[in-house]
Amino acid sequence: MMFKRGIIQMKLRTIKYMVREGFSNTYKNLLMTLASLTMVISSLLIFGVFLMVTVILSFNLRQMEKQIAEIVIWLEKDIAPLEADDIELRLKNDVRVLECNRITKEQAFAELNEALEDPSLLEGYTPEFLSESFRLRLKDVNQIAEFADEAADITGVEDIDFPKDFLERLALILKWINAGSMFILALLLIISVSIISNTIKLTVYARRKEIGIMKYIGANDWFIRWPFIIEGIIIGLVGSVISFVITSYLYNALESYVSSEAVVSGMSLIRMVPLKDIGGQILFVYIIIGVVMGVVGSIISVRKHLNV
Amino acid sequence: MIEFKAVTKRYSNGAIGLQDASFTIQKGEFVFVVGPSGSGKSTLLKLILHEEVPTEGEVYVNGFSIHNMRRSEIPYLRRGLGVVFQDFRLLPNKTVYDNVAFAMQIVEAQPKEIRRQVPVALALVGLSKKAKVYPDQLSGGEQQRVSLARALVNNPSILLADEPTGNLDPAISREIMYLLDEINQRGTTVIVATHEKSIVDDMEKRVISLDYGRIVHDVQKGNYTNEA
Ligand SMILES: Nc1ncnc2c1ncn2[C@@H]1O[C@H](COP(=O)(O)OP(=O)(O)OP(=O)(O)O)[C@@H](O)[C@H]1O
Ligand SMILES: [Mg+2]
Repeated sequence: MMFKRGIIQMKLRTIKYMVREGFSNTYKNLLMTLASLTMVISSLLIFGVFLMVTVILSFNLRQMEKQIAEIVIWLEKDIAPLEADDIELRLKNDVRVLECNRITKEQAFAELNEALEDPSLLEGYTPEFLSESFRLRLKDVNQIAEFADEAADITGVEDIDFPKDFLERLALILKWINAGSMFILALLLIISVSIISNTIKLTVYARRKEIGIMKYIGANDWFIRWPFIIEGIIIGLVGSVISFVITSYLYNALESYVSSEAVVSGMSLIRMVPLKDIGGQILFVYIIIGVVMGVVGSIISVRKHLNV
Repeated sequence: MIEFKAVTKRYSNGAIGLQDASFTIQKGEFVFVVGPSGSGKSTLLKLILHEEVPTEGEVYVNGFSIHNMRRSEIPYLRRGLGVVFQDFRLLPNKTVYDNVAFAMQIVEAQPKEIRRQVPVALALVGLSKKAKVYPDQLSGGEQQRVSLARALVNNPSILLADEPTGNLDPAISREIMYLLDEINQRGTTVIVATHEKSIVDDMEKRVISLDYGRIVHDVQKGNYTNEA
Protein backbone atom coordinates (compact mmCIF):
# COMPACT_ATOMS: atom_id res chain seq x y z
CA MET A 1 0.00 0.00 0.00
CA MET A 2 2.65 2.46 1.05
CA PHE A 3 4.75 1.35 -1.85
CA LYS A 4 1.99 1.94 -4.35
CA ARG A 5 1.30 5.39 -3.03
CA GLY A 6 4.97 6.14 -3.33
CA ILE A 7 4.94 5.37 -7.01
CA ILE A 8 1.90 7.53 -7.68
CA GLN A 9 3.46 10.42 -5.79
CA MET A 10 6.64 10.09 -7.77
CA LYS A 11 4.78 10.14 -11.04
CA LEU A 12 2.81 13.22 -10.10
CA ARG A 13 5.97 14.95 -9.06
CA THR A 14 7.63 14.08 -12.32
CA ILE A 15 4.63 15.22 -14.32
CA LYS A 16 4.72 18.51 -12.49
CA TYR A 17 8.41 18.80 -13.22
CA MET A 18 7.86 18.10 -16.91
CA VAL A 19 5.02 20.58 -17.28
CA ARG A 20 7.13 23.21 -15.55
CA GLU A 21 10.10 22.41 -17.81
CA GLY A 22 7.86 22.54 -20.88
CA PHE A 23 6.55 25.98 -19.99
CA SER A 24 9.89 27.38 -18.95
CA ASN A 25 11.57 26.06 -22.10
CA THR A 26 8.86 27.63 -24.23
CA TYR A 27 9.56 30.91 -22.53
CA LYS A 28 13.34 30.64 -22.35
CA ASN A 29 13.69 29.78 -26.03
CA LEU A 30 11.43 32.64 -27.00
CA LEU A 31 12.95 33.15 -30.42
CA MET A 32 12.51 29.51 -31.37
CA THR A 33 9.05 29.50 -29.88
CA LEU A 34 8.12 32.48 -32.04
CA ALA A 35 9.58 30.80 -35.10
CA SER A 36 7.59 27.62 -34.49
CA LEU A 37 4.50 29.64 -33.67
CA THR A 38 4.78 31.53 -36.95
CA MET A 39 5.04 28.22 -38.75
CA VAL A 40 1.99 26.80 -37.00
CA ILE A 41 -0.02 29.93 -37.69
CA SER A 42 0.90 30.19 -41.35
CA SER A 43 0.24 26.50 -41.93
CA LEU A 44 -3.11 26.72 -40.20
CA LEU A 45 -4.09 29.83 -42.13
CA ILE A 46 -3.29 28.24 -45.47
CA PHE A 47 -5.10 25.19 -44.29
CA GLY A 48 -7.99 27.29 -43.00
CA VAL A 49 -8.42 29.35 -46.16
CA PHE A 50 -8.52 26.19 -48.17
CA LEU A 51 -10.94 24.56 -45.78
CA MET A 52 -13.15 27.63 -45.94
CA VAL A 53 -13.17 27.69 -49.72
CA THR A 54 -14.14 24.04 -49.75
CA VAL A 55 -16.86 24.51 -47.16
CA ILE A 56 -18.37 27.51 -48.91
CA LEU A 57 -18.13 25.89 -52.31
CA SER A 58 -19.78 22.66 -51.30
CA PHE A 59 -22.33 24.51 -49.21
CA ASN A 60 -23.32 26.56 -52.24
CA LEU A 61 -23.40 23.56 -54.50
CA ARG A 62 -25.63 21.78 -52.04
CA GLN A 63 -27.94 24.78 -51.87
CA MET A 64 -28.07 24.74 -55.62
CA GLU A 65 -28.71 21.04 -55.63
CA LYS A 66 -31.61 21.52 -53.25
CA GLN A 67 -33.14 24.23 -55.37
CA ILE A 68 -32.87 22.26 -58.53
CA ALA A 69 -33.80 18.89 -57.18
CA GLU A 70 -37.50 19.09 -57.88
CA ILE A 71 -39.45 16.12 -59.10
CA VAL A 72 -42.52 16.72 -61.18
CA ILE A 73 -44.97 13.85 -61.32
CA TRP A 74 -47.40 14.15 -64.21
CA LEU A 75 -50.72 12.38 -63.91
CA GLU A 76 -52.63 10.87 -66.76
CA LYS A 77 -54.83 13.46 -68.39
CA ASP A 78 -58.09 11.67 -67.83
CA ILE A 79 -57.46 10.42 -64.32
CA ALA A 80 -60.41 10.32 -61.94
CA PRO A 81 -60.22 13.03 -59.29
CA LEU A 82 -60.52 10.47 -56.49
CA GLU A 83 -57.62 8.52 -57.86
CA ALA A 84 -55.55 11.70 -57.97
CA ASP A 85 -56.44 12.39 -54.33
CA ASP A 86 -55.20 8.90 -53.45
CA ILE A 87 -51.89 9.54 -55.13
CA GLU A 88 -51.55 12.87 -53.37
CA LEU A 89 -52.16 11.24 -50.01
CA ARG A 90 -49.66 8.55 -50.75
CA LEU A 91 -46.99 11.05 -51.75
CA LYS A 92 -47.59 13.32 -48.79
CA ASN A 93 -47.34 10.44 -46.35
CA ASP A 94 -44.07 9.19 -47.73
CA VAL A 95 -41.38 9.80 -45.13
CA ARG A 96 -38.84 10.75 -47.77
CA VAL A 97 -40.91 13.65 -49.00
CA LEU A 98 -40.12 17.10 -47.70
CA GLU A 99 -42.85 18.99 -49.48
CA CYS A 100 -45.43 18.14 -52.09
CA ASN A 101 -47.52 20.65 -54.03
CA ARG A 102 -50.42 19.69 -56.16
CA ILE A 103 -50.72 21.69 -59.33
CA THR A 104 -54.23 21.56 -60.69
CA LYS A 105 -55.00 21.92 -64.35
CA GLU A 106 -56.23 25.46 -63.69
CA GLN A 107 -53.04 26.42 -61.89
CA ALA A 108 -50.96 24.93 -64.64
CA PHE A 109 -52.96 26.84 -67.21
CA ALA A 110 -52.55 30.10 -65.30
CA GLU A 111 -48.84 29.55 -64.99
CA LEU A 112 -48.53 28.80 -68.65
CA ASN A 113 -50.47 31.87 -69.43
CA GLU A 114 -48.14 33.94 -67.36
CA ALA A 115 -45.05 32.35 -68.80
CA LEU A 116 -46.01 33.00 -72.37
CA GLU A 117 -45.26 36.40 -73.79
CA ASP A 118 -48.14 36.24 -76.13
CA PRO A 119 -51.26 35.05 -74.26
CA SER A 120 -53.17 34.94 -77.52
CA LEU A 121 -51.39 31.69 -78.25
CA LEU A 122 -53.60 29.98 -75.69
CA GLU A 123 -56.82 31.31 -77.09
CA GLY A 124 -59.32 28.60 -77.68
CA TYR A 125 -57.68 26.22 -75.24
CA THR A 126 -59.09 25.25 -71.87
CA PRO A 127 -57.18 23.92 -68.85
CA GLU A 128 -58.52 20.51 -69.79
CA PHE A 129 -55.82 20.04 -72.38
CA LEU A 130 -53.20 20.10 -69.61
CA SER A 131 -52.34 17.39 -67.08
CA GLU A 132 -52.48 17.64 -63.37
CA SER A 133 -49.11 17.31 -61.57
CA PHE A 134 -47.30 17.16 -58.25
CA ARG A 135 -44.11 19.05 -57.51
CA LEU A 136 -42.03 17.40 -54.83
CA ARG A 137 -38.92 17.96 -52.87
CA LEU A 138 -37.19 15.21 -50.98
CA LYS A 139 -35.45 15.42 -47.65
CA ASP A 140 -32.42 13.71 -49.09
CA VAL A 141 -31.50 14.73 -52.62
CA ASN A 142 -29.59 11.51 -53.13
CA GLN A 143 -32.76 9.44 -53.02
CA ILE A 144 -34.25 11.23 -55.97
CA ALA A 145 -33.58 8.64 -58.69
CA GLU A 146 -34.83 5.77 -56.60
CA PHE A 147 -37.91 7.73 -55.63
CA ALA A 148 -38.64 8.66 -59.22
CA ASP A 149 -38.47 5.03 -60.28
CA GLU A 150 -40.97 4.04 -57.65
CA ALA A 151 -43.32 6.90 -58.47
CA ALA A 152 -43.31 5.96 -62.14
CA ASP A 153 -44.89 2.63 -61.23
CA ILE A 154 -47.88 4.18 -59.52
CA THR A 155 -51.00 3.67 -61.60
CA GLY A 156 -52.32 6.92 -62.88
CA VAL A 157 -48.87 8.43 -63.18
CA GLU A 158 -48.07 9.34 -66.73
CA ASP A 159 -44.59 10.68 -66.50
CA ILE A 160 -41.84 11.76 -64.13
CA ASP A 161 -39.59 14.69 -64.63
CA PHE A 162 -36.46 15.63 -62.71
CA PRO A 163 -33.07 17.06 -63.71
CA LYS A 164 -31.37 13.68 -63.74
CA ASP A 165 -28.23 14.51 -65.69
CA PHE A 166 -27.72 17.75 -63.95
CA LEU A 167 -28.03 16.24 -60.51
CA GLU A 168 -25.76 13.37 -61.39
CA ARG A 169 -23.14 15.75 -62.65
CA LEU A 170 -23.46 17.89 -59.56
CA ALA A 171 -23.09 14.87 -57.30
CA LEU A 172 -19.99 13.88 -59.20
CA ILE A 173 -18.54 17.36 -58.86
CA LEU A 174 -19.27 17.34 -55.16
CA LYS A 175 -17.62 13.96 -54.82
CA TRP A 176 -14.50 15.21 -56.58
CA ILE A 177 -14.41 18.36 -54.54
CA ASN A 178 -14.62 16.31 -51.38
CA ALA A 179 -11.97 13.83 -52.43
CA GLY A 180 -9.72 16.53 -53.82
CA SER A 181 -9.98 18.69 -50.75
CA MET A 182 -9.30 15.72 -48.48
CA PHE A 183 -6.21 15.01 -50.49
CA ILE A 184 -4.99 18.59 -50.49
CA LEU A 185 -5.77 19.03 -46.82
CA ALA A 186 -3.81 15.88 -45.99
CA LEU A 187 -0.95 17.09 -48.14
CA LEU A 188 -0.97 20.48 -46.43
CA LEU A 189 -0.97 18.72 -43.09
CA ILE A 190 2.06 16.61 -43.96
CA ILE A 191 3.92 19.62 -45.30
CA SER A 192 3.07 21.59 -42.19
CA VAL A 193 4.24 18.85 -39.87
CA SER A 194 7.51 18.60 -41.71
CA ILE A 195 8.06 22.36 -41.67
CA ILE A 196 7.25 22.51 -38.00
CA SER A 197 9.37 19.55 -37.10
CA ASN A 198 12.22 21.26 -38.91
CA THR A 199 11.69 24.37 -36.89
CA ILE A 200 11.49 22.40 -33.68
CA LYS A 201 14.57 20.49 -34.80
CA LEU A 202 16.41 23.76 -34.58
CA THR A 203 15.33 24.25 -31.00
CA VAL A 204 16.20 20.67 -30.22
CA TYR A 205 19.54 21.06 -31.94
CA ALA A 206 20.22 24.08 -29.81
CA ARG A 207 19.52 21.88 -26.82
CA ARG A 208 21.15 18.65 -27.95
CA LYS A 209 23.86 19.11 -25.35
CA GLU A 210 21.20 19.27 -22.69
CA ILE A 211 19.60 16.12 -24.06
CA GLY A 212 22.97 14.39 -24.14
CA ILE A 213 23.63 15.34 -20.54
CA MET A 214 20.24 14.04 -19.52
CA LYS A 215 20.96 10.75 -21.25
CA TYR A 216 24.32 10.39 -19.50
CA ILE A 217 22.78 11.01 -16.14
CA GLY A 218 20.33 8.20 -16.84
CA ALA A 219 17.13 9.95 -17.88
CA ASN A 220 14.83 7.68 -19.85
CA ASP A 221 13.52 8.72 -23.23
CA TRP A 222 10.10 9.83 -22.08
CA PHE A 223 11.57 11.97 -19.38
CA ILE A 224 13.46 13.85 -22.07
CA ARG A 225 10.68 13.81 -24.62
CA TRP A 226 7.84 15.08 -22.47
CA PRO A 227 9.02 18.65 -21.90
CA PHE A 228 9.45 18.99 -25.66
CA ILE A 229 6.02 17.52 -26.27
CA ILE A 230 4.49 19.90 -23.77
CA GLU A 231 6.28 22.71 -25.55
CA GLY A 232 4.75 21.46 -28.79
CA ILE A 233 1.29 21.37 -27.22
CA ILE A 234 1.66 24.92 -25.93
CA ILE A 235 2.81 26.19 -29.30
CA GLY A 236 0.05 24.25 -31.08
CA LEU A 237 -2.65 25.59 -28.76
CA VAL A 238 -1.52 29.20 -28.87
CA GLY A 239 -1.00 28.97 -32.62
CA SER A 240 -4.44 27.53 -33.27
CA VAL A 241 -6.19 30.13 -31.15
CA ILE A 242 -4.34 32.98 -32.88
CA SER A 243 -5.08 31.42 -36.27
CA PHE A 244 -8.73 31.13 -35.34
CA VAL A 245 -8.92 34.79 -34.38
CA ILE A 246 -7.33 35.79 -37.70
CA THR A 247 -9.57 33.42 -39.64
CA SER A 248 -12.73 34.72 -37.97
CA TYR A 249 -11.71 38.25 -38.71
CA LEU A 250 -11.09 37.47 -42.38
CA TYR A 251 -14.26 35.44 -42.63
CA ASN A 252 -16.39 38.20 -41.17
CA ALA A 253 -14.80 40.70 -43.52
CA LEU A 254 -15.57 38.46 -46.47
CA GLU A 255 -19.09 37.86 -45.25
CA SER A 256 -19.90 41.54 -44.92
CA TYR A 257 -18.35 42.17 -48.34
CA VAL A 258 -20.52 39.46 -49.88
CA SER A 259 -23.68 40.75 -48.26
CA SER A 260 -22.95 44.35 -49.25
CA GLU A 261 -22.43 43.16 -52.81
CA ALA A 262 -25.76 41.42 -52.55
CA VAL A 263 -27.43 44.68 -51.51
CA VAL A 264 -25.89 46.51 -54.44
CA SER A 265 -26.60 43.92 -57.08
CA GLY A 266 -29.87 42.78 -55.59
CA MET A 267 -28.76 39.18 -55.37
CA SER A 268 -25.72 37.30 -54.23
CA LEU A 269 -23.92 34.70 -56.21
CA ILE A 270 -22.37 33.07 -53.22
CA ARG A 271 -23.99 32.41 -49.94
CA MET A 272 -21.79 32.26 -46.88
CA VAL A 273 -22.25 29.81 -44.08
CA PRO A 274 -22.70 31.95 -40.97
CA LEU A 275 -19.52 31.88 -38.89
CA LYS A 276 -21.42 31.00 -35.76
CA ASP A 277 -22.52 27.78 -37.41
CA ILE A 278 -19.03 26.58 -38.25
CA GLY A 279 -16.82 28.61 -35.89
CA GLY A 280 -16.81 25.94 -33.20
CA GLN A 281 -15.87 23.25 -35.66
CA ILE A 282 -13.11 25.35 -37.17
CA LEU A 283 -11.63 26.11 -33.77
CA PHE A 284 -11.82 22.44 -32.89
CA VAL A 285 -10.12 21.38 -36.12
CA TYR A 286 -7.45 24.06 -35.65
CA ILE A 287 -6.71 22.96 -32.12
CA ILE A 288 -6.49 19.31 -33.09
CA ILE A 289 -4.24 20.03 -36.05
CA GLY A 290 -2.14 22.56 -34.16
CA VAL A 291 -1.57 20.22 -31.25
CA VAL A 292 -0.91 17.24 -33.50
CA MET A 293 1.60 19.32 -35.47
CA GLY A 294 3.31 20.42 -32.27
CA VAL A 295 3.43 16.96 -30.73
CA VAL A 296 4.41 15.04 -33.84
CA GLY A 297 6.93 17.73 -34.71
CA SER A 298 8.50 17.45 -31.25
CA ILE A 299 8.66 13.67 -31.27
CA ILE A 300 10.21 13.58 -34.73
CA SER A 301 12.81 16.16 -33.91
CA VAL A 302 13.84 14.75 -30.54
CA ARG A 303 14.11 11.21 -31.85
CA LYS A 304 17.50 11.55 -33.48
CA HIS A 305 19.11 13.00 -30.40
CA LEU A 306 17.87 10.31 -28.09
CA ASN A 307 20.14 7.70 -29.61
CA VAL A 308 23.20 8.20 -27.47
CA MET B 1 31.91 -5.09 -10.91
CA ILE B 2 33.44 -4.23 -14.31
CA GLU B 3 34.71 -6.94 -16.58
CA PHE B 4 36.04 -6.71 -20.14
CA LYS B 5 36.48 -10.05 -21.91
CA ALA B 6 38.52 -9.92 -25.11
CA VAL B 7 36.80 -6.70 -26.15
CA THR B 8 37.35 -5.21 -29.57
CA LYS B 9 35.68 -2.02 -30.67
CA ARG B 10 35.87 -1.21 -34.34
CA TYR B 11 34.13 1.99 -35.46
CA SER B 12 32.02 2.02 -38.58
CA ASN B 13 34.76 3.85 -40.49
CA GLY B 14 37.17 1.04 -39.66
CA ALA B 15 39.08 2.87 -36.92
CA ILE B 16 40.13 0.66 -34.05
CA GLY B 17 38.96 1.98 -30.70
CA LEU B 18 39.93 -0.99 -28.59
CA GLN B 19 41.63 -4.26 -29.49
CA ASP B 20 41.26 -7.52 -27.59
CA ALA B 21 41.14 -5.85 -24.19
CA SER B 22 40.55 -7.94 -21.08
CA PHE B 23 40.62 -6.75 -17.48
CA THR B 24 38.49 -6.58 -14.36
CA ILE B 25 38.01 -3.73 -11.99
CA GLN B 26 36.84 -4.57 -8.47
CA LYS B 27 34.55 -2.55 -6.33
CA GLY B 28 36.38 0.30 -4.61
CA GLU B 29 39.36 0.43 -6.96
CA PHE B 30 40.92 3.60 -8.30
CA VAL B 31 42.18 3.13 -11.85
CA PHE B 32 43.97 5.49 -14.22
CA VAL B 33 43.61 4.81 -17.93
CA VAL B 34 46.50 6.35 -19.82
CA GLY B 35 47.94 6.33 -23.31
CA PRO B 36 48.66 8.59 -26.25
CA SER B 37 45.93 10.46 -28.03
CA GLY B 38 43.79 8.04 -30.05
CA SER B 39 44.89 5.02 -28.03
CA GLY B 40 41.34 4.19 -26.96
CA LYS B 41 40.90 5.70 -23.48
CA SER B 42 37.60 7.36 -24.27
CA THR B 43 36.45 4.27 -26.12
CA LEU B 44 37.03 2.20 -23.00
CA LEU B 45 34.95 4.55 -20.88
CA LYS B 46 32.23 4.82 -23.53
CA LEU B 47 31.86 1.06 -23.52
CA ILE B 48 31.25 1.08 -19.78
CA LEU B 49 28.65 3.79 -20.27
CA HIS B 50 26.99 2.02 -23.20
CA GLU B 51 27.64 5.02 -25.38
CA GLU B 52 29.30 2.49 -27.66
CA VAL B 53 28.84 -1.26 -27.82
CA PRO B 54 31.67 -3.76 -28.33
CA THR B 55 32.18 -5.20 -31.80
CA GLU B 56 33.58 -8.37 -30.28
CA GLY B 57 33.87 -9.66 -26.75
CA GLU B 58 31.84 -9.05 -23.63
CA VAL B 59 31.53 -6.15 -21.23
CA TYR B 60 29.86 -6.47 -17.84
CA VAL B 61 29.11 -3.48 -15.66
CA ASN B 62 27.26 -3.77 -12.35
CA GLY B 63 25.56 -6.91 -13.61
CA PHE B 64 24.50 -5.39 -16.96
CA SER B 65 25.80 -6.99 -20.14
CA ILE B 66 26.76 -4.06 -22.30
CA HIS B 67 27.20 -6.23 -25.38
CA ASN B 68 23.65 -7.47 -25.14
CA MET B 69 21.33 -4.95 -23.61
CA ARG B 70 17.86 -3.65 -24.22
CA ARG B 71 17.59 0.04 -24.97
CA SER B 72 15.18 0.56 -22.11
CA GLU B 73 17.77 -0.76 -19.65
CA ILE B 74 20.34 1.88 -20.54
CA PRO B 75 19.00 4.56 -18.18
CA TYR B 76 19.17 2.10 -15.30
CA LEU B 77 22.76 1.18 -16.09
CA ARG B 78 23.65 4.86 -16.18
CA ARG B 79 21.97 5.65 -12.91
CA GLY B 80 24.58 3.52 -11.21
CA LEU B 81 27.38 5.44 -12.91
CA GLY B 82 28.60 8.96 -12.33
CA VAL B 83 30.26 10.64 -15.29
CA VAL B 84 32.59 13.59 -15.53
CA PHE B 85 33.78 15.00 -18.84
CA GLN B 86 36.62 17.18 -19.93
CA ASP B 87 34.19 19.91 -20.98
CA PHE B 88 32.11 19.71 -17.75
CA ARG B 89 28.76 19.52 -19.61
CA LEU B 90 26.75 21.60 -17.19
CA LEU B 91 23.36 22.99 -18.12
CA PRO B 92 23.99 26.70 -18.69
CA ASN B 93 20.49 27.86 -17.82
CA LYS B 94 20.39 26.16 -14.45
CA THR B 95 22.12 27.29 -11.27
CA VAL B 96 24.83 25.20 -9.64
CA TYR B 97 22.28 23.89 -7.20
CA ASP B 98 19.76 23.05 -9.95
CA ASN B 99 22.41 21.35 -12.05
CA VAL B 100 23.12 18.99 -9.21
CA ALA B 101 19.46 18.61 -8.21
CA PHE B 102 18.64 17.80 -11.83
CA ALA B 103 20.50 14.50 -11.61
CA MET B 104 18.20 13.54 -8.74
CA GLN B 105 15.02 14.74 -10.43
CA ILE B 106 15.78 12.47 -13.33
CA VAL B 107 15.78 9.44 -11.09
CA GLU B 108 12.58 10.72 -9.48
CA ALA B 109 14.04 11.23 -6.03
CA GLN B 110 11.85 12.65 -3.26
CA PRO B 111 12.06 16.45 -3.02
CA LYS B 112 13.00 16.03 0.63
CA GLU B 113 15.82 13.75 -0.38
CA ILE B 114 16.96 16.24 -3.03
CA ARG B 115 17.03 19.08 -0.50
CA ARG B 116 19.15 16.94 1.78
CA GLN B 117 21.58 15.42 -0.70
CA VAL B 118 22.40 18.36 -2.97
CA PRO B 119 24.00 20.49 -0.21
CA VAL B 120 25.97 17.46 0.92
CA ALA B 121 27.35 16.92 -2.58
CA LEU B 122 28.16 20.61 -2.97
CA ALA B 123 29.90 20.64 0.40
CA LEU B 124 31.93 17.62 -0.61
CA VAL B 125 33.34 19.48 -3.60
CA GLY B 126 33.69 22.71 -1.62
CA LEU B 127 31.11 24.75 -3.48
CA SER B 128 28.44 25.32 -0.87
CA LYS B 129 28.76 29.07 -1.26
CA LYS B 130 28.23 29.02 -5.01
CA ALA B 131 24.91 27.17 -5.02
CA LYS B 132 22.91 30.02 -6.55
CA VAL B 133 25.45 30.93 -9.21
CA TYR B 134 25.18 30.00 -12.91
CA PRO B 135 27.93 27.85 -14.48
CA ASP B 136 29.31 30.60 -16.72
CA GLN B 137 30.10 32.65 -13.61
CA LEU B 138 32.47 29.93 -12.37
CA SER B 139 36.08 29.13 -13.13
CA GLY B 140 36.90 25.94 -15.00
CA GLY B 141 37.98 24.17 -11.84
CA GLU B 142 34.78 25.17 -10.08
CA GLN B 143 32.68 24.02 -13.01
CA GLN B 144 34.40 20.67 -12.94
CA ARG B 145 33.65 20.41 -9.25
CA VAL B 146 30.00 21.08 -9.96
CA SER B 147 29.97 18.30 -12.50
CA LEU B 148 31.64 16.08 -9.90
CA ALA B 149 28.95 16.96 -7.39
CA ARG B 150 26.34 16.09 -9.99
CA ALA B 151 28.04 12.80 -10.75
CA LEU B 152 28.12 11.91 -7.07
CA VAL B 153 24.78 13.09 -5.80
CA ASN B 154 23.01 9.84 -6.61
CA ASN B 155 25.72 7.82 -4.89
CA PRO B 156 26.84 5.92 -7.96
CA SER B 157 28.92 2.83 -7.40
CA ILE B 158 31.25 3.79 -10.24
CA LEU B 159 32.58 7.20 -11.20
CA LEU B 160 33.93 7.61 -14.74
CA ALA B 161 36.03 10.64 -15.61
CA ASP B 162 37.29 11.29 -19.13
CA GLU B 163 40.19 13.75 -18.92
CA PRO B 164 38.48 15.64 -16.10
CA THR B 165 41.43 17.99 -15.86
CA GLY B 166 42.08 18.39 -19.57
CA ASN B 167 40.93 21.99 -19.52
CA LEU B 168 42.41 22.96 -16.16
CA ASP B 169 45.77 24.28 -15.07
CA PRO B 170 48.14 21.98 -13.13
CA ALA B 171 47.38 23.17 -9.60
CA ILE B 172 43.63 22.92 -10.11
CA SER B 173 44.08 19.55 -11.83
CA ARG B 174 45.81 18.23 -8.77
CA GLU B 175 42.96 19.44 -6.55
CA ILE B 176 40.40 17.68 -8.72
CA MET B 177 42.42 14.45 -8.71
CA TYR B 178 42.68 14.53 -4.92
CA LEU B 179 38.98 15.12 -4.77
CA LEU B 180 38.50 12.01 -6.90
CA ASP B 181 40.77 10.14 -4.52
CA GLU B 182 38.68 11.31 -1.59
CA ILE B 183 35.54 10.11 -3.31
CA ASN B 184 37.26 6.78 -3.88
CA GLN B 185 38.13 6.56 -0.16
CA ARG B 186 34.42 6.68 0.54
CA GLY B 187 33.95 3.48 -1.42
CA THR B 188 33.17 4.62 -4.97
CA THR B 189 35.03 2.87 -7.77
CA VAL B 190 36.81 5.59 -9.75
CA ILE B 191 38.13 5.27 -13.31
CA VAL B 192 40.00 8.23 -14.76
CA ALA B 193 41.29 8.62 -18.29
CA THR B 194 44.04 11.20 -18.27
CA HIS B 195 47.21 12.64 -19.77
CA GLU B 196 48.45 14.04 -16.43
CA LYS B 197 51.75 12.22 -16.14
CA SER B 198 53.03 13.77 -12.96
CA ILE B 199 49.80 13.32 -11.05
CA VAL B 200 49.50 9.71 -12.13
CA ASP B 201 53.04 9.08 -11.05
CA ASP B 202 52.49 10.74 -7.68
CA MET B 203 49.25 9.00 -6.79
CA GLU B 204 50.51 5.45 -7.18
CA LYS B 205 47.23 3.92 -8.27
CA ARG B 206 46.46 1.09 -10.64
CA VAL B 207 47.33 2.19 -14.19
CA ILE B 208 45.98 0.65 -17.40
CA SER B 209 48.09 1.84 -20.36
CA LEU B 210 46.72 1.71 -23.87
CA ASP B 211 48.42 1.99 -27.20
CA TYR B 212 46.65 1.60 -30.53
CA GLY B 213 43.68 0.19 -28.68
CA ARG B 214 45.66 -2.54 -26.93
CA ILE B 215 46.36 -2.81 -23.24
CA VAL B 216 50.12 -2.62 -23.04
CA HIS B 217 50.42 -2.47 -19.24
CA ASP B 218 48.07 -3.05 -16.34
CA VAL B 219 50.00 -2.39 -13.16
CA GLN B 220 48.92 -1.92 -9.53
CA LYS B 221 50.65 1.13 -8.05
CA GLY B 222 51.90 1.91 -11.53
CA ASN B 223 53.09 5.06 -13.14
CA TYR B 224 52.34 6.83 -16.41
CA THR B 225 54.95 5.20 -18.61
CA ASN B 226 55.52 1.97 -16.70
CA GLU B 227 58.91 1.51 -18.23
CA ALA B 228 60.58 0.60 -14.99
N1 LIG C 1 32.88 7.96 -33.08
C1 LIG C 1 33.99 7.52 -33.68
N2 LIG C 1 33.95 7.16 -34.98
C2 LIG C 1 35.04 6.70 -35.59
N3 LIG C 1 36.23 6.56 -35.01
C3 LIG C 1 36.34 6.91 -33.73
C4 LIG C 1 35.24 7.41 -32.99
N4 LIG C 1 35.63 7.66 -31.73
C5 LIG C 1 36.93 7.35 -31.68
N5 LIG C 1 37.36 6.88 -32.86
C6 LIG C 1 38.70 6.42 -33.17
O1 LIG C 1 39.04 5.40 -32.26
C7 LIG C 1 40.37 5.55 -31.81
C8 LIG C 1 40.40 5.70 -30.29
O2 LIG C 1 39.76 6.91 -29.97
P1 LIG C 1 39.56 7.39 -28.48
O3 LIG C 1 38.69 8.58 -28.52
O4 LIG C 1 39.12 6.26 -27.67
O5 LIG C 1 41.03 7.81 -28.09
P2 LIG C 1 41.54 8.55 -26.77
O6 LIG C 1 42.57 7.67 -26.19
O7 LIG C 1 40.41 8.92 -25.92
O8 LIG C 1 42.22 9.84 -27.38
P3 LIG C 1 42.37 11.30 -26.72
O9 LIG C 1 43.45 11.22 -25.72
O10 LIG C 1 42.72 12.16 -27.87
O11 LIG C 1 41.04 11.63 -26.14
C9 LIG C 1 40.93 6.74 -32.56
O12 LIG C 1 41.65 6.27 -33.67
C10 LIG C 1 39.72 7.51 -33.00
O13 LIG C 1 39.97 8.16 -34.21
MG1 LIG D 1 39.56 10.73 -25.29
